Amino acid sequence: MNTLGRRQFLKLAAVLPALAALPGLARATTAPPRVVVVGAGFGGATVAKYLRLWGGNIDVTLVDANARHTSCILSNLVVTGELAMSRISLGFHALRTRYGINVLQGRALSIDAPGNSVTIRTPGGNQVLPYDHLVLSPGIDFSPAPGNWNPSLTPHAWQAGAQTTLLKNQLASMRNNDVFVMTVPKAPYRCPPGPYERAAVVADYLKRKGRTGARVIVLDANAGITAEPEAFEHAFNITHAGVIEYYPNASVESVDSATRSIVTSAKSISRAKVLNYIPDQRAGAIAASMPLDSAGFVPVDPLTYGTADHPNIHVIGDACAVPATDSKAVPKSGHMANAEAKICADAIIRLLNGETPDEDIATGSACYSPITNKISSWLSANFAYGDIFDANGQVKGKGMHRVDLGEAASDMIDGDSYQDMFKWAESLFADSFG
Amino acid sequence: MNTTRFTSAALIGATLLAAGLPAGADPGRLLAAQCAQCHGTNGAGPGFDEIAGENANDLFGELIEMKYRPVEGIMDRQARGYSDAQLQLIADFLSTQPGNGDN
Repeated sequence: MNTLGRRQFLKLAAVLPALAALPGLARATTAPPRVVVVGAGFGGATVAKYLRLWGGNIDVTLVDANARHTSCILSNLVVTGELAMSRISLGFHALRTRYGINVLQGRALSIDAPGNSVTIRTPGGNQVLPYDHLVLSPGIDFSPAPGNWNPSLTPHAWQAGAQTTLLKNQLASMRNNDVFVMTVPKAPYRCPPGPYERAAVVADYLKRKGRTGARVIVLDANAGITAEPEAFEHAFNITHAGVIEYYPNASVESVDSATRSIVTSAKSISRAKVLNYIPDQRAGAIAASMPLDSAGFVPVDPLTYGTADHPNIHVIGDACAVPATDSKAVPKSGHMANAEAKICADAIIRLLNGETPDEDIATGSACYSPITNKISSWLSANFAYGDIFDANGQVKGKGMHRVDLGEAASDMIDGDSYQDMFKWAESLFADSFG
Repeated sequence: MNTTRFTSAALIGATLLAAGLPAGADPGRLLAAQCAQCHGTNGAGPGFDEIAGENANDLFGELIEMKYRPVEGIMDRQARGYSDAQLQLIADFLSTQPGNGDN
């Protein structure tokens, strides 16, 4: 201070806010920008990979609690024994060696947003990681269940891994006349077609195993089938008629894992053989420290996936809420998380270069849902940046507007689509992790 | 004030130079990245048809045909998700990408 005249000091004071707004400037100018990514699912793996692919000299650290990621995509076919668990187990080797990403096993404990650092609990103790940009891709957490729910007795299997194996083993234990009860969470939830797909392949399994009189009871918290209604109505009413019973408007009032019983506003079941309660969902824990919307997800800027209070903290994938026209929400899926990760990576690179984010952007989701172990349906949804509308058709701002949505027509639900499902998964797995 | 702005700009420039980030993205790169979920990173597989290194006019023509014909499959729906101008940017970008020689 002593060496600065008043005039010079004022000049410096005017520059300081600009410096603070540009993360990274305070550090030595030779150090590369640092990005920390929390969560190595489809969103986190993809953003880390594309930051390195497109961004050159960016120091990227990818943090995940597990040594490998277990994909929810294809996991219903592990439940029915069609695929081995190894098929959905995705490692981080290529991310490390091919793209030079620092992969750190640990769990994010807290974010110091003003200080631009995140604290990670690792097996070797806590580490504080400074960042210029932080990307959170933690997926979902479950809302508290009413009653006494113990997922180690009655699995959700909506985060793949040990839960998938538990549900597979319980399904395999079913005998004639046994009942498999499952719930569909209130939207928005991870993978809109997923629960209906599970009902279909479980019914198919029971039929193929000759489990006479065994039934699948679907208790849907929503007013109707939320994705691919034509395909799944056909699957429930024709393909698997007499095996699947579907109840809409079934709000869960209580769950009791000890007796595998559930009470809902539409139908109650006592002592099911298998109770696959899939709870309502919200943003994963570390993202839940950000301001949330009424559904429990983090609103983001669709051009950068930055959060309102902290533009250099980004949330992608299932945990975020992208502004969209009412009733035309951007779905939560692994494919969409991969799509959002690329928008986010490109925006971070532009911001680090002092440029503005690209507005000519599009995201999409495509997926395949097996109906039996031979045929599959598919779903396609595409979004572009532009005006979005409220329930009265009035422009309510900018966001991702749905350009197209469509499911497979009945003559496209076939064996070719079943084979295409594996091409899609192979490519999506490789684009995200390979 | 002018001096301040100049100082800030100079500082930003110095830092970015040191950071060594690639300057500017190829047009169409970000849009074309949305093809990669099914056609592989930069369109070079694995997955569905390899689209890297295809002739830009051929690729654009195929995308336009799929966009405007009655839906025969999932790609016809995906093509509907983009403006014609975006499809042109995508085709131009993918045509510059090295493939694996499978297309």
